[in-house]
Amino acid sequence: MISSYVAGLLAEIGIASIAALSVHVILAVGQLSLGNAAFMACGAYTASVLTVEHGVPVPLAIAVGAVVSGVLGLVVGFPALRLRGIYLAMATLGFGEMTRSFFLSLDATGGAAGYSGMQRLSLGAIWAWALPLLVLVLLAERSRLWLALNAVRDDETAARLLGLNTVALKLGAFTVGAALAGIAGGLFAHWHIFIEPGAFNLDRSIEMVLAVVLGGSTIALGPVFGAAALALAPEALRFIADWRLAAFGALLIVILLLRPQGIIDRRLLRALKP
Amino acid sequence: MTVSRRSLLATPALLLARPAVSQARFAGMEVKLGAIVPSSGPFAEWGRTNTVALRMVEEQVNAGGGIGGARLSIAIYDDAARPAQAANLVRKLADDDKVLAIAGPLTSSACEVAFPVANQAKLVACSQASSKPGTAAANRPWAFRNTIDEAVLLKTSLPWFKRSYSVETIAIIYDAKDANSVALGSRIMPEMLKENGIRLLNEGSLATFNTGDIDVSAQVTALKALNPTALVVAADYSQAVTVLREMRRQGFIKPVIGGTPLISSAILRAAPEIPVVSCATYYAGQQGEKVQRFTNALQPRLRATAGLPPTIEPSMYDAHMAEIVGMYTDAVLRGGLTLKPADLESDREKLRAHLEKLSGYEGLSGPIHFAETGDAVKVFFTVVGQNGSWTEKVRGCSTHGSLTC
Amino acid sequence: MLLQQLVNGLTLGAVYTLVALGFSLVMGVLGILNLAVAELFMLGGYVGLTLMLDGQPLLVGLGAAALFTGLLGVVVERVAYQPLRHAPPIAPLLSTLGFSVIFQTVATNVWGSDPLLLPPELMDARYQLGSVSVGQAQLVVMATAVGLVVGLALVMRHTRFGTGLRAIAENRDVARLLGVPAPLVTSGAFALSGAMAGVAGVLIGLHYGALTPFVGVEVGLKAIAVMVVGGTTSIWGVLLAGPLLGVLEVMTVAFGGAAFRDMTVYGLMILTLLLRPQGLLGRAGGAQRV
Repeated sequence: MISSYVAGLLAEIGIASIAALSVHVILAVGQLSLGNAAFMACGAYTASVLTVEHGVPVPLAIAVGAVVSGVLGLVVGFPALRLRGIYLAMATLGFGEMTRSFFLSLDATGGAAGYSGMQRLSLGAIWAWALPLLVLVLLAERSRLWLALNAVRDDETAARLLGLNTVALKLGAFTVGAALAGIAGGLFAHWHIFIEPGAFNLDRSIEMVLAVVLGGSTIALGPVFGAAALALAPEALRFIADWRLAAFGALLIVILLLRPQGIIDRRLLRALKP
Repeated sequence: MTVSRRSLLATPALLLARPAVSQARFAGMEVKLGAIVPSSGPFAEWGRTNTVALRMVEEQVNAGGGIGGARLSIAIYDDAARPAQAANLVRKLADDDKVLAIAGPLTSSACEVAFPVANQAKLVACSQASSKPGTAAANRPWAFRNTIDEAVLLKTSLPWFKRSYSVETIAIIYDAKDANSVALGSRIMPEMLKENGIRLLNEGSLATFNTGDIDVSAQVTALKALNPTALVVAADYSQAVTVLREMRRQGFIKPVIGGTPLISSAILRAAPEIPVVSCATYYAGQQGEKVQRFTNALQPRLRATAGLPPTIEPSMYDAHMAEIVGMYTDAVLRGGLTLKPADLESDREKLRAHLEKLSGYEGLSGPIHFAETGDAVKVFFTVVGQNGSWTEKVRGCSTHGSLTC
Repeated sequence: MLLQQLVNGLTLGAVYTLVALGFSLVMGVLGILNLAVAELFMLGGYVGLTLMLDGQPLLVGLGAAALFTGLLGVVVERVAYQPLRHAPPIAPLLSTLGFSVIFQTVATNVWGSDPLLLPPELMDARYQLGSVSVGQAQLVVMATAVGLVVGLALVMRHTRFGTGLRAIAENRDVARLLGVPAPLVTSGAFALSGAMAGVAGVLIGLHYGALTPFVGVEVGLKAIAVMVVGGTTSIWGVLLAGPLLGVLEVMTVAFGGAAFRDMTVYGLMILTLLLRPQGLLGRAGGAQRV
């Protein structure tokens, strides 16, 4: 029997893993999103309103939240096709801030006061979402589709010459990524049983990207490892007291310098195999 | 057998709290409490002074022979004002540290997420600062707050404000990103103003800004153009400072009224000539024997602590923290707790029941009770901050039903 | 009131321009979003204002702040940028973010999380022009914003450092073949960017009379929007976009409500990225360089 504290951390890791996978999938086509907290917010608010006000069962509500977030991802994905790299990052950052500002002024969901009334999910329920999704992404990574995504990332022109529909691939990645973030949001809402616009700020978006970059984006285990590391770091650094956040920043820099490809990559996994 | 002997011992303690009797009772045992404070992040100052205050109380209690002979030990954790961390800390304190009760968390956002966890764990959590309406009431029976609802405070302070500054017209500005300030600025204040016959000039288009804004010149210019007799500033002090500075810069010197989060020495330094009216349950410079003893003991400790400014003064939330530990101590002594590890669950329930019916407990400025909403019934003061210091004007009590100070 | 609001908007615009310059220099030349600039701005403010509270004149405060944040800029470059020069641009973005977190904690631990308040008398003079009232600090902020932009544009055009930077912006390898000491010039860009952020911090702290360790966060995001709208490759762009966004923000607040403010500012940023990625004054093709 694990203590509820460990259970709490495990639940958070589960939710953060799905959130990190949402960035991972979008990154597979070489698109960097600094606005995924917006999709998470969208999933969280949609699912919560459905369960609280319409009595929809939680799994169905979360699925609907994922669809709504996915559609929003598709809508945002279209203009995003025009942008790359740091410019796309800045545009999605702006989108994230606008979405947060939208929920802040939306009285129907409580505005700044937040929204509550949800039922709490169990740790098992959260991982019942997280594990299959992780397996799904791992399987997808072995498919030709993923090769196509990476081809777009590596050289879009060449990918187009090969006959790949780069527009569809990029939009698809954005949509799936947004839907994953929506699921993470729905789970977040039904784990903390209280949500507010401040929970989906730029820090949250950055956390998702950090999980991917620190964990490693060559294989889906990387983002999951990164999410776990980010959830545990603040707890592990408690002994530094007042300098806790600074230590976190320093650790971030050191890891980026030592392993710019992320902590987990295929070579490391091969080396670990007996 | 043991039960009857315990109740025999408890009876005189209940009547007179005679130290001689209670000292022997828990000799060699330990009272373990938990505290959740934001020692890093934007509210670091509050969290760090909270920590010093808690350590001081711990030291004083143990130097005085402990709680009925039992040693007091407080496990203090930093939640960085992050709701998720606060929730996990409640779990940690409940399961790993096996504490009797928790003091904190500080921010309303953290309370919204942490209180339900406390309810689930069947563990008392009492916030030292949260004053967002209804946060404890939504998480009964285990959630408490040693704070008073802003609406209750305004019933005393607003009529006084109106009288003293001949306020006929007023305008509101609030922090739209902070749930507390939104409730106060957009809901409570407009209602109370109507009740008191003060005309609200910007009704329907209340001025707002966001936490973290450094520039509120546009809002202040618009407010100034309305030419009200006074202004409502619903924001916590670090944000209100920005508004006060801008008012001063634009020569808009009008009396200001706001909620308890305005109480801070920073407000006094922002615009000394602008009178700022608010309510406090404690303020640095407050008179009274018990309260001065607290201030005089805590202030030098705060100023000697690394990471805190050398001019720092105890905050209202330090006083609340000390009182929360005091109430828990009172429950241990008079609530029939056994302090045996095997009885942890029933001890937590007894502590909760004791708080719910708390009576005869003296806080720093008077008795404290808890309403069924989980919020405190206690003494408060309407104070004016002007020319560098707070002055007490009216003394009130957050009377609730038959509960009063 | 409209005129007064215009003055408010222009002042806010000048504030954004000052911070945006720090972002723009590094972004325009190296294509790197140095997030630590927002915290260098904050630290510069603390260093300068602490000295002024100690009785030092404004120029000493400005000089010390510029020196301090300029040096920190080089530290950021050496640790967070140079080793990650060939990594995808997200890596240096996140490593500079690491510095942001460190700087915020340092400021919290040294100066506290409560606002640092200046005595109200500092630079308190006001001038009344008809119905409009302007403060001394306000004028200094605006004048410095214009001065720094002009100065930087001159440096970029007429000094060896400037031509070197522009050469690196075009092509680092070719620039080195032409004899540009690339590492030195790159460090110079980070130093200059840091120093300008520091100066901005002192002046803006002086104008608003209060500082917190978290002041850089919101202002920094707005400054990024200003940089994008003005054009990341154009120094002059921030001088146009700063006041534009400042006035737009103030007018939205005054006549529409603060709820729409962030929508307007970031909406304009996104529209710029989509419709004119090079920004108002940038060269076409600039947005491709990543």
